[in-house]
Amino acid sequence: MSYKNIIYEKKDGIGYITLNRPEKLNAINDAVLDELDAAFAAAEPDLEVKVVVVKGAGQAFSVGQDLSGVETSEVLLDPREPISTKRQLEAERRRNRRWEYIFNLAKPTIAQVHGYCLGYGCHLAMVCDMTIACEDALFGDPSIRMGLLSGMPLWIWLIGIKKTKELLYSGRYITAAEAEQFGLINKAVPKDKLEEEVFRLAKGISLLPGDGLANCKDGINSVMEARGLGEAWRFTNELQLVMQQHSREPGEFDFFEVRDKKGLKAAIKDRDAPFKGFP
Amino acid sequence: MPTGFGREFVTQYQKCEWENAEYRARQYQDALYDKVNDRIARITFNRPEKRNAFSDRMFEDMFAGLHQANDDPDVRVVIMRGAGICFGAGHELSSPEGEDSPPIHPSKNPTMVDYYGFERRRCTKWETITDFPKVTIAQVHGYCVGASQIVASCCDLIIAAEDAQLGIRGFGNLHHSVTHWPVWPLWSNKAYAGHAISETSGKEAAELGFINKAVPQDKLEEETLNWAEVLSQLPSEIVAITKEWINGSLDITGIGSAQRSHFVSHLTLQYVRFRPYEVNLYKAKRDKGLKGFMKERAISATPGTGLEK
Repeated sequence: MSYKNIIYEKKDGIGYITLNRPEKLNAINDAVLDELDAAFAAAEPDLEVKVVVVKGAGQAFSVGQDLSGVETSEVLLDPREPISTKRQLEAERRRNRRWEYIFNLAKPTIAQVHGYCLGYGCHLAMVCDMTIACEDALFGDPSIRMGLLSGMPLWIWLIGIKKTKELLYSGRYITAAEAEQFGLINKAVPKDKLEEEVFRLAKGISLLPGDGLANCKDGINSVMEARGLGEAWRFTNELQLVMQQHSREPGEFDFFEVRDKKGLKAAIKDRDAPFKGFP
Repeated sequence: MPTGFGREFVTQYQKCEWENAEYRARQYQDALYDKVNDRIARITFNRPEKRNAFSDRMFEDMFAGLHQANDDPDVRVVIMRGAGICFGAGHELSSPEGEDSPPIHPSKNPTMVDYYGFERRRCTKWETITDFPKVTIAQVHGYCVGASQIVASCCDLIIAAEDAQLGIRGFGNLHHSVTHWPVWPLWSNKAYAGHAISETSGKEAAELGFINKAVPQDKLEEETLNWAEVLSQLPSEIVAITKEWINGSLDITGIGSAQRSHFVSHLTLQYVRFRPYEVNLYKAKRDKGLKGFMKERAISATPGTGLEK
């Protein structure tokens, strides 16, 4: 596959997947998803790759789903579009199977995060085994402000109940320092140390036997499955479906209407306005 | 009532969890209901002279308040707080006659089946708070111990005064079972270890991740209202579905079983045989009264402090 929206390269036993839409802050559209699929599928059986690092080009890791509505039929279902339950369920399943596939990839994965790491971008970092972020990184999932379900069950497994509810009810963002404290990421480091820190970690892992790593990862993930994670993905699909059917209250903010009338930037501004000054 | 056990006893098994929780034309008393504004309702535990210890009436008033907030289409957020110097001191340990409050009055002389029904009815109350379809925030100051801590834990969010005291006096939190659920699924040893401590301050609890935020006590109300205000911007249906998703995922991890284990551990505690050197609630209460018991318990929980003299 020839990559346009990501860069895939191999060096010193480490595979690098770089989201490469810097002008859009690495917003994830359908094409990015396709290329991510291809890159992970290429890395998994490749004996030259011991560990995979995922990062973003430009100012941010990723701002999340591309909300523009252009070539986003996979990443963002428009609730106004008539769509059969069956097709929607298929879409939800594809989405969560993709996250599950990356989560269970038979190699260790490291997310190297700087700048925004929101929505799908944050989910991508969460399904990686480890996340190292620089101090200016911002994590969060503003889905609820647009009437969407976050749809990432790992929140509960990673940061516990109270924090999950706090972040997903409010859509607020947290800094790398807070993310480290809650257990969302492994470590927050100064900006100029990020690359070095990730390289040291990846290099160290790459010296270990690949079979042992795959086995170890499978053991850890199977514990999470035993705690119900497997069922939680499926349950999430169903609740996504329910959320698409929610009825709007009079005067309720409609992200999709505002976006089509006033443009994407104005819609995001309107979306976040009521939450300004929130702790 | 025939029991199938060949003897008579005062059965409580069939009593409905929702009995006496009608909110229409209600005179709220042990818990008060008010609205801060259209979208924010508030339930205030109101037995300040008893440190808001739970009486049957307080439970009933609390549930009536939740009912009322649920039926009010404008309400999106419910705040729970305590009147007086604290959020709440847990169950009423003086065992008022005729009340459900554990340890229940000896005159009830329950069989195990009876007691299990009582426990189940009591513990199902926690799940009712957990599954309440609107956002719930506990505004915690002063003591927040025992059952009051469970109530706070079952709320979606907890904001506490830095000097609040959360936990159970004289025990580790670990037998609490149902309050484990803020650390469920256990995502850190730090949090797990924190739950072995019998009491934590608001500040410590925030650091351990049991609560969302700790603020100085004079800022507590302002901070809670600020959060409530922001969260009340979200449409009810969207919150309800998101909450269903989070709570449903927790059910998959086994929260339901944890709730059940709480009934059983309470049931088991009812039949504990105290060793001679242990503080026996029933004996201490009989011989020295409730205050005498609490003093003995404090001494046994903090050996070497000189309290024993």
